[in-house]
This record gives sequence, structure tokens and C-alpha cells, in this order.
Amino acid sequence: MKTTLKSIFALLMGVATVWSFTVPDVAEFQAPGFARIFLWHFPCPMLFTFLILTGAWFSIRGFQRIELKPWRFEPETDAMAKAMWDVRSVACMELSYLFAALTMATGILFSEIQWGAWWSWDPRQTSFLMVLLIYAAYFALRFAYTDPSKRAAHSSAYALTALLPTLFLVFVFPRLPQILQMSLHPSDSILGGKIKGEYAYCVIFILILFFIMTAYLYNLRVRAGLAEIELDNKNERLDNGGDSAPTGVVRPVSLSE
Amino acid sequence: MNYSWRAEILAIFRKEWRTEMRSMSGLVTAFLFSVVTVYAISFAALNSKLPKTVIAGMLWVALLFSAASSLPRTFLSEEEHGTADLLRLVARAHAVFWGKALFNIFQCVATSVMLSILYLGFTSTPVAIPWLFAVSLVAGCLSLAGAVTLCGAIASQASNRSMLAAAIAVPLLLPLVALGVSGMRVSLGDGTMASGGTASAIGLIGYAVATLATGPYIFAAVWKT
Amino acid sequence: MLKVDRLGKKYGGRWIFRGLSFELGQGDRLVILGRNGSGKSTLLRTIAGLTERTEGTVELPPGDPRHTLGLCALEQSVYAQLTVEEHLEMTADLRGCPARIDELLGKIDLAYARDVPASHLSTGMRARLKIAMAIQANPVALLLDEPGAGLDEEGRNLVARITAEQSERGCLIVATNDPIERRLANLELQLAS
Repeated sequence: MKTTLKSIFALLMGVATVWSFTVPDVAEFQAPGFARIFLWHFPCPMLFTFLILTGAWFSIRGFQRIELKPWRFEPETDAMAKAMWDVRSVACMELSYLFAALTMATGILFSEIQWGAWWSWDPRQTSFLMVLLIYAAYFALRFAYTDPSKRAAHSSAYALTALLPTLFLVFVFPRLPQILQMSLHPSDSILGGKIKGEYAYCVIFILILFFIMTAYLYNLRVRAGLAEIELDNKNERLDNGGDSAPTGVVRPVSLSE
Repeated sequence: MNYSWRAEILAIFRKEWRTEMRSMSGLVTAFLFSVVTVYAISFAALNSKLPKTVIAGMLWVALLFSAASSLPRTFLSEEEHGTADLLRLVARAHAVFWGKALFNIFQCVATSVMLSILYLGFTSTPVAIPWLFAVSLVAGCLSLAGAVTLCGAIASQASNRSMLAAAIAVPLLLPLVALGVSGMRVSLGDGTMASGGTASAIGLIGYAVATLATGPYIFAAVWKT
Repeated sequence: MLKVDRLGKKYGGRWIFRGLSFELGQGDRLVILGRNGSGKSTLLRTIAGLTERTEGTVELPPGDPRHTLGLCALEQSVYAQLTVEEHLEMTADLRGCPARIDELLGKIDLAYARDVPASHLSTGMRARLKIAMAIQANPVALLLDEPGAGLDEEGRNLVARITAEQSERGCLIVATNDPIERRLANLELQLAS
């Protein structure tokens, strides 16, 4: 069943690839044929935004210590429950960074062919680079904490702190009037209704496929993270000889002492 | 704000104030940093007249790095000296955040005023719209202090906390710098209010409000971990 | 008054303690014994909420923990630039309780050093200051981590007096290796290392 689904998905990706090469060229661009990179470029920032919002949501849930539905195992301790939320949050962040990098890569290609330079200090390019730097700091923060519980809490706090500047950089800053004037990046393709007909259908199709792929990758990453937690737990039981651990019982002090 | 919160926030502020006034380490460092930065930029410009946008940009970069290196100390020093637990036992998280943020705001404003006077003096740059310059500076300091205070708290328990606090704060503040430079260059006479001055002023104030409104809640989530 | 139920703390892969359960009422004085590294300080910090517990629950006395709980820990520091009086003012303002500076300074015998910065205090004097800050709000539950460390004989007598006062007010937990301090208690908990 899973193999069949994967095969169908691969086939659909093939269809999307071929379709993207058959849509008409866009005459307004310097390299009309290359404008079709928009079909692969546009879904990336959409998924990036969706994933950082989802990651922030999981961060909040981790702080609230909401009870998780059991996965393959129930969390035995509060710390384990928080770790399970952290796995979900970091899965979203890792995938969002992947899509941010893809956005930047496709954007740089577009910049070279359309504007004649790999990097033209376009405000949209520059602001998105700032976003990449913000989330690079997220991963630097995670590496700096060795204690899993502190790592989860502090990186979740940073994910929430970073959300507002990121949304500003992605959605508000490029649309400021003085920025719009100097930006080479197309700004009204979607809202101005310029994407229509076959282009629109193709980009929506690719967006749906990317979404399905993201869900699959997210699922894999979360399962891997939860398996690590389960394995660590089992290893600790073996190392500690089962559930034995130092315990203490309160007893009255001996009067003779 | 009821009496209890005011007293608690002031207690933290007073503690920071007394500690700083008796050691003078933060303010002396900030002053030295300001002088050296202004000298370095002027030296690099080799006496040529810099465009007002570049002047505004340099000033903001100096302010950003000064804030990112000195303001997180309010939290980092608590962990380094082992006094953080005392605060955790006796103080509420919001009071700690606001007390330290208020002190950082004061420190940031003092540094920015010092930096501005030195820099504009050295470069002989007049201020065309003083109120916009003041708003850019003050709103910028409010945002800088709020964000860097929070980043200091987030990084305070990590192994390489000093560098990490600056490393995570600077990217978060880049949008603020963009707004600040935009507003400041208009205040120095490069452009008009309509071409970016008004939007920058509103953006800076909005950024400050958003940072200081959400900061205490995010801080409270990590304070006792 | 203070209830601990199946409390456990793990660092990395190692359990420091696990399955600890006890309940303390008015007048109970619990001494926690154990070799170095057995988790005495960690247990106190976990009860006070400074260290996150891995499992189990801690029920503190009802009310604001800033008032109902006092902790004097060995690794706790004081602010080098603040004077003794300023420390007590600060903790009173933060807790929202009366400062009782004269009363506390008399109790810990530091009235002569009220304007001395903490950086000029000896180890024993700092220990007394920490005790004063811990008992300032008349806590129902008082936790002391090796209270006699750094104290002279007078200091130890001070600890004994505070222990007696605490018995009338609520409960006390002392973590120690000192056999003399052990006698302050009527209940004992031995942690294995």
C-alpha cells in the first residue's frame, strides 16, 4: 500500500515536472522561458511560513504541558512529554529551513537570469536572507544546550521570539511603499491576479504535491525523533538494571544517636 | 499597575542601578565602545563627506553591536555569579523582566545619546528633523533593550552564553535596524517624511510595543527551566 | 504542609534519586543525609522548584511560594555590590513582605555590618545573610542546605535557634553531612549514592 502511494506520488511529481515545462512562456520577463521557475519557487515560501507557524504552535503546546495523545508509547514522565512536543517543533523548524533554503536558491537562479546578477541586493532577497540568519541562530541555540529539557524550552522561546520579525520581513517589509519602488522582485503576481489559467493550475498542483511531501517528511522526522526518545529510555532502563534507582524512605532518627 | 508590581519592578531596577553605579563596568564599556567606534568610522572615511544614509547606517550598526554585547550582561552575570536562584526564589518572572528591561532601556538610551553626540559631532552632520531623530533613537532603544534582554535570558544557561546571546540577538534586530536607518536618514535630511520617515517612526514604535508586550510572557516560560 | 510524592530527578542517563515520598507537618524537622554527590542539594532545589523534576509531584504549603517557602543553599550567591541592608530591602520588596531589617540583623548578629557590601563579608557572614533572606517572610517550609558550612560556633547556635523557631512556625528540611546538625531533626532520609 505504502509503495503504491509512493509510486503514485512519484508519478504525479513527474506529471508536475513535465507540465511545468509545457506552460506558456511569460513574455514580460527578460528570459520568458525561465519565468516558469516561479512554479517551483512560489510553494517554498508558502510552506516555510506554514511550518514556522506550526513549529511556534508546538512550542506553545510544549510550554503549556498539554497532554499528548499516545504515539507508540505513552510518555512516562513530564520531561518525556515535553521532549515529544520538542520533536514536533524541531521537525517543523528543520523542514522550514529546508524550504527557506530552496526559496533562496530558486530566487538566486531567477536573479541571475532575469536581472543579470546572482545577488542584486534586492530588498526581497535581502530580507529573506535575514530570515535565514534568524533561523540559523535557532539551530546555534539548540547546539549550545546539552540538557534536553533546557534545549527544548529555550529554543521554543526563541522560535516564538523570532516569529514576529520573520513575519514582518516576509510579508510587511517588501510591501512598504519605499521598498516596492526600488524592488525588482515581482510584487503583485498573486494579489494582482496576474497568475491565471494554466500557470495558476500548475502552481496550485505543485503546491499540493509539496504539501503532501512535507507531511510525509514531517511524519518521518517525528517518528525518528520519538524512536530516539523511546530508545534512550530503554537503554537507561538496561543501564540502571531495570527500574532500580536510589530511593529513600523517611524514618525517625534513632534516639540513641 | 498595582503597588506590588511597581515595587517589585523598581526593586529589580534599583538593584541593577546600584550594581552598575558601584562597578561602572557597563557604562564605561559602552562609553569606550562609542568613542572607539566613532573614531574607527571617521578614520576609515578618511575625512571624506559620507552620505547621510551611510551615516545613519553606521550609527545604527554601532548601536546594534554595542547593545548586543553589553545589554545581555544583566542576565548573564546572574548565572555566572550564582545569584539567579535567589531571584527565582523571591521574584516573579514579569517583575524580573521589566526591571531588567527598564535598566537596559536606560543603558541603551544613554549609550545612543553618547554615540549620537560623538558621531554627529565628528562628522559635522546637522539634524534636519530633530523629533524624528529622537523618536528613531528612543523607539529603537526600547526595541533593542526588550529584544536583547529576552535573548540574554534565553542564552543565559548555555555553555558559551556571552557570544550566543549576541549571536541570537543580532539577526532578530536586523529588521529593526532597517527601520531605524530609514527613519534616521530622513531625520538627517536625506528624503522626506512621506518617503519613509512616517512609516519608519510608526514601524519602530510598533516594533517596540510588540517586543515589550510579548517579551515578559516568553521570558516567564524559560525563567524557571 | 509539604508533601512529596514519588519524586525523581534524572541528569542525562543517570537517576539522582527516584521514588521519594514523604509528608511533613507542623513541627517536623527532616534531615537529608548522604555522601557527596548523593543528591541532597538537588533534592532541595527540586522541592523548591529551582530544578525541574523528572517525575513525581511536590505539594508546597498553600499560598505564594515566595512567602511560604524559604531556601538557603550552599551554592547560592549574594550580590557583591549590595550591602547587607540593601539585600534585605530588595528581597522584602520583591516578596511584598515587611523587611524587618533591624529584627533580622539582630537575629543573625550582623547589625554592625548593615552598610557593608557583600564583597567585604566573610564566608560566614554571607551565610548568615542568606539565612536572614530565607527566613524574612516567616516561611512555613524552610529548606537549609548545609547551614553550618562556614559558620563558627556562634553561627551554629544561630542555626539551632532558627531551627527551633521554625518548628513552631512550620516544617524544616536540612541537608547535611554534619552529625551535630543531624540532631536538629526528628526525621531522617538517607540518600544512597
